[in-house]
Amino acid sequence: MTAGRVLLLVTSSSYKAEDFLSAAERLGIAVTVVSDHEGTLSDVAPGANLPVDFSDADRATSSIVDFHHEYPVRAIVAAEDEGTTLAAAASSALGLSHNPTAAVHTARRKDLFREALRDAGLPSPDFATFGVDEDPDAVAARAAAQPGFPCVVKPVSLAASRGVIRADDETQLAAAFRRVVRIAAEAEGTAEAEGTATAPGSEGAATVPGSEDATRGTSGDAARILVEEYLPGGEVALEGLLVDGELRALAVLDKPDPLEGPYFEETLFVTPSRLPAETQEAIRDTGARVARAIGLTHGPVHAEMRVNEKGVWPLEMAPRSIGGLCSRLFRFQTGLTLEELILLHATGAPIDEIASPADAPAATAPGAMASGAMMIPIPRAGSFGAVEGTDAALAVPAIEDVVISLRPGQEVVPLPEGNRYLGFIFARSADGPEAVERALREAHACLEITIE
Amino acid sequence: MIEFTEAARERMLAFFAEEEDSAGLAVRVSVTSPSPLAPAYEMSLIEAHEVEEGDERVSVDGIDLVIDPESARILPGTRIDWVDAIEGSGFKFENPNIQPLGAEPLDGPLAERVQRVIDEHINPGVAMHGGAIRLVDIRDNVVYVQMGGGCQGCGMASVTLTQGIKQVFTRMLPEIVDIQDVTDHAAGADPYFSPQK
Repeated sequence: MTAGRVLLLVTSSSYKAEDFLSAAERLGIAVTVVSDHEGTLSDVAPGANLPVDFSDADRATSSIVDFHHEYPVRAIVAAEDEGTTLAAAASSALGLSHNPTAAVHTARRKDLFREALRDAGLPSPDFATFGVDEDPDAVAARAAAQPGFPCVVKPVSLAASRGVIRADDETQLAAAFRRVVRIAAEAEGTAEAEGTATAPGSEGAATVPGSEDATRGTSGDAARILVEEYLPGGEVALEGLLVDGELRALAVLDKPDPLEGPYFEETLFVTPSRLPAETQEAIRDTGARVARAIGLTHGPVHAEMRVNEKGVWPLEMAPRSIGGLCSRLFRFQTGLTLEELILLHATGAPIDEIASPADAPAATAPGAMASGAMMIPIPRAGSFGAVEGTDAALAVPAIEDVVISLRPGQEVVPLPEGNRYLGFIFARSADGPEAVERALREAHACLEITIE
Repeated sequence: MIEFTEAARERMLAFFAEEEDSAGLAVRVSVTSPSPLAPAYEMSLIEAHEVEEGDERVSVDGIDLVIDPESARILPGTRIDWVDAIEGSGFKFENPNIQPLGAEPLDGPLAERVQRVIDEHINPGVAMHGGAIRLVDIRDNVVYVQMGGGCQGCGMASVTLTQGIKQVFTRMLPEIVDIQDVTDHAAGADPYFSPQK
């Protein structure tokens, strides 16, 4: 491998820092963490951390270029959505392999994504976009004509089902529109606050100032609401890695819980998929066509799709790996984690041998194991107290781990407003995906969640 | 080098008795994890052809034991008991060579140097986020620390450890080969950063 550092772009609210850093350590790859806060030990650990403002991509790119002169950079990896625009821009400035910035922008904007798919002749739900300051009743009346009912209302730029609400008539749509506008505004305010202000309780934790919202496009772009046709059917996820513009499908993941609204909380991911082989092939093929349509060429992608009798409908494709801690469900050849695979690819290592589809018989270790993760739903709003029963959950056969990611006293809000996971349950079994799903549900039933 | 309690010896002999032909059988004893965080052992009946080159063979209370070289280095003085409990039954190893972390007071020049690095170069930094690092133990030049205050449960604790604490030790005390975080992060009541979607 060539010398130089990998820049790992993570926000201070990331779930993924630990897994990426552990992966880098196991692989012997030197990493600099590029984050939205000043590392507490930056003064005594030069080159290990670089604070930037993710929302000011131009200025952050300049910081990375300057950093590169002192500490040569060989790859830039964004752990989550917030860093993808900067990763593309900075990679371009340094001449490193990465996705085109325009493609990342398209992937992160649901309206642009829909347009790109439609232009490429890919299946896409009918849709219309509206400004946040438009009259909700007027929006409902116009949406009744296009896209019609039932429909789904969502901000163009939020992820993880946040602010996504189904509406079956004009009354519901007007109410949903008002609510989604509030959620989008709150998210926008939070992002700006995190991007420009000091974190609570610490004058020494100042981040780089600047408020231009490049993390979601511009503020104006982000302030739009998408209303699109509701697609019936099951939902799947596709995890992949783009290598020289070609999609290597790593796994098709079933989402066994029905996602029919009014909110769309993701809970279960299970692989290998139990869909027919030809359907899975169609999902992989659709993923490759989506990447080409929006111009993504390099690195990890996570796509969500609906599957019904009319075919495979791509909903989104993000230029990053699966969210939260869910990547822990994957094991690739020789036991590699998804983060190790991503870092190996980023540093130019050949990955053909190790990036076999995770549901191929030879791809998992040991043997052809099924695996899955449950993102534990937040049952209601309040102050998180505790989770009892984790020992019982861990004792369920096939359960590998239970991770509670909230702290006592933390305020929690369920979807569609919420932006945290309560925790994760992981399972792995040689008895197939049914056994994994069963174990995850059984383990979840063991948990007693206290929210006051 | 290894001692069986009477309960453990009886249980071992019962396992032998369950075999149709126990002639030539031995017990392989191995340390599968020497970590002081979670030491793990394994015992299994093996046949003569499963003894490998380099294995040590000893007889304890009439029971033939086979021990791989690495385990043989760690097992001297170990007492093996059999316990029956609600949560499960099994052999219990009491190994004086794998003490719980922090069991002994830390002293000596290395401990002093490590503590000085923590006091002078690490804690002033993490204190900006209301955090503090406590030295728990040093074993085989591996330093074990606990993170407290704002670091306990913090979403960026792994960054502080990997990109801060480890970097500082690499520069200032290169004889330290690793830093292990033994914090119960789930119990952190006031983490500085909390993860979000």
